[in-house]
Amino acid sequence: MAATSASVFNPALTSNKHPEEPSHVAFISNLRMSTSCLTKFQLKHLSPSSIPSQSPRNPICAAASPTCSPSATTATTFHGLYYVLGDNIDIDQIIPAEHLTLVPSKPDEYRKLGSHALIGLPSTYETRFIETGEVQSKYSIIIGGENFGCGSSREHGPVALGAAGVKAVVVESYARIFFRNSVATGEVYPLESEGRLCDECSTGDVVTVELAENLLINHTTGKEYKLKPIGDAVVYY
Amino acid sequence: MPTSTIAASGSTPFIIKKKELRVSTFSSTSFNIIPKKRCSKKVVSVMTPTQSQRPPSTTGSVKTALTMTEKILVRASERSALVPGENVWVNVDVLMTHDVCGPGTIGIFKKEFGENAKVWDREKIVIIPDHYIFTSDERANRNVDILRDFCGEQDIKYFYDIKDLGDFRANPDYKGVCHVALAQEGHCRPGEVLLGTDSHTCNAGAFGQFASGIGNTDAGFVMGAGKLLKVPPTLRFVMDGEMPSYLLAKDLILQIIGEISVAGATYKSMEFVGSTVESLSRMTLCNMVVEAGGKNGVVPADSTTYKYLEGKTSVEYQPVYSDDKARFLSEYRFDVSKLEPLVAKAHSPDNRALARECKDVKIDRVYIGSCTGGKTGFFCCGKTFPSIGKKSFISLVFLTIVFLLTGKKDKVPTFIVPATQKVWMDIYSIPVPGSGGKTCSQIFEEAACDTPASPSCGACLGGPRDTYARMNEPQASHIMSMNCLFSVCVSTTNRNFPGRMGYKEGQIYLASPYTAGASALTGFVTDPREFFAVTEDK
Repeated sequence: MAATSASVFNPALTSNKHPEEPSHVAFISNLRMSTSCLTKFQLKHLSPSSIPSQSPRNPICAAASPTCSPSATTATTFHGLYYVLGDNIDIDQIIPAEHLTLVPSKPDEYRKLGSHALIGLPSTYETRFIETGEVQSKYSIIIGGENFGCGSSREHGPVALGAAGVKAVVVESYARIFFRNSVATGEVYPLESEGRLCDECSTGDVVTVELAENLLINHTTGKEYKLKPIGDAVVYY
Repeated sequence: MPTSTIAASGSTPFIIKKKELRVSTFSSTSFNIIPKKRCSKKVVSVMTPTQSQRPPSTTGSVKTALTMTEKILVRASERSALVPGENVWVNVDVLMTHDVCGPGTIGIFKKEFGENAKVWDREKIVIIPDHYIFTSDERANRNVDILRDFCGEQDIKYFYDIKDLGDFRANPDYKGVCHVALAQEGHCRPGEVLLGTDSHTCNAGAFGQFASGIGNTDAGFVMGAGKLLKVPPTLRFVMDGEMPSYLLAKDLILQIIGEISVAGATYKSMEFVGSTVESLSRMTLCNMVVEAGGKNGVVPADSTTYKYLEGKTSVEYQPVYSDDKARFLSEYRFDVSKLEPLVAKAHSPDNRALARECKDVKIDRVYIGSCTGGKTGFFCCGKTFPSIGKKSFISLVFLTIVFLLTGKKDKVPTFIVPATQKVWMDIYSIPVPGSGGKTCSQIFEEAACDTPASPSCGACLGGPRDTYARMNEPQASHIMSMNCLFSVCVSTTNRNFPGRMGYKEGQIYLASPYTAGASALTGFVTDPREFFAVTEDK
């Protein structure tokens, strides 16, 4: 299982959709230097001498255990809006069972699954994930709490999210089968945060997730968050 | 918070510090990469690199003392020893799929292995349509056709087909709910590895085998080849004590899930042992392991298991048992004589409460069915059905006991969905002990229950809008008159997340068949002891 997770990190994915790629490096460096609050990090300066094994652009990862990094050198980055969910979001909320007659391996039904993603959320979620009349979501990153994706084993869960346009899910912890299905299908990158991002972030915030650096940057609040290296998550499930 | 006699035995030698079991200490960072699904048609096998020899101090006696789950995976991976956290290829003995996930699995199998590829073993795949059967939904019906075409093309030996949706009895092969059918047809055998495209596949752990749920993609690969699995550490639950007459296995598993939470067993194996377990519905216990996040559940096989399997399978099997010195992550001990009937309140299976504390909760309906609660399987104490005495252990018969004792009629609509054809036939044919020769169906009728429906998963997971007993929005148009205006349901099913049975705002209280029956009679969540004499026997 650990090995199959590595398959997700095909660097050929997504980066070509990144709108800010040409100026990406400069943008991020500038952002870090001007950010006044970095959550959970001890280092703010970029002095290479204080970080023996990391590049100057990467102070945050100094303390991380060895990561299972993608074998290619292109960075994998996601940029977009996020949608915030709470704890124990089960598969029935992600894709209600009445839509399971749709077969994910058929392209038109795959798209239909996407159009129903997160439609099972109760009315306490006032901002809907997919707006009425739309078939894809404007949110490409999902933030969640504990035990994300619990309940059913159906792969339609991560498939619906992926088909709706979600690139990455960043949560406190996963339910086993959802994590495994995300990895097996490659539909969404299942990432784990350190701490409860769902308490600090709001739906609609603009975010960048940098996989190679295990970093999530909320441009709306200016905060940065460390992500657990995917190697560790891979090992737990 | 309900009173509980359970204490996690925090100081026993069985508790192992989690870090001893973490593979992260040993993990290597070089893996072969499988190309993303859309980019490649070739299957590239993925292997973890062999681990370097661990220093002896970290392995200790683990090499020889294994838990049941570890032993099963050792045998299936043809290794001599394993530790939790290891990744291994295991040979799968049975792969099960159904109408919801089967078509997707087949699609992936064909894409990855080729349009003309053959499955790895036509006798080890069991295909059971059961989820969305009795519906006019065209896609649902088409999905059963897809299964049929595939089974024909691959000459799959075990396909429990249904063509005539108007009368389930006209389909001799049709069984019903996959997990109960697997058991009834002898596909669950001690010591084996069973994987299924359904989270409640863990149900089969009741037979002392490794059984776990997987997604379409994993299953598609199993169809063509072997399977990579990670060895889970085991949580042990020891249940002893005299089981009170008003308690059922459902109460015990709700107790456990309430104790450890919906993520308490994530990625772990749950092993159920103890004198009480021998006489319980083991399938009900193992069925809900996934509700605690568990990977699989196991109950050691014994004479009850062997007796049940007689005549159902000709495949030889080899049971395994945990060693005395096997290492468990934690051990929980229960004295069941001190427990009380429970419910799991909306909207989580770990939202545990005493049934008696919920007596003011007005309900609109009762649903009896699913793999958890729709069985007449007598998978417990050595008595075979029909049996005389207090423990007839037949879920649907439990219900009849409540009705018989009271002679009352239901106050709220009570929907009964037998899990399989066999269960349906048992309800209509076998006399219930102590009833003067009446069958379950007669007793249900006298209690004003709805006529037992065609066997399938039914409304446990909602399903297409026209599914029998589905909880629908109050204003929605209806096809059947019973699907309307209900918002609180007591159910013998296994999940109560928002919208599970259809309507998002509907509330589902999970309960045992006794509690469900008692609640049907009062119209409120009711402790079954209201209707049971405390003194024994019936």
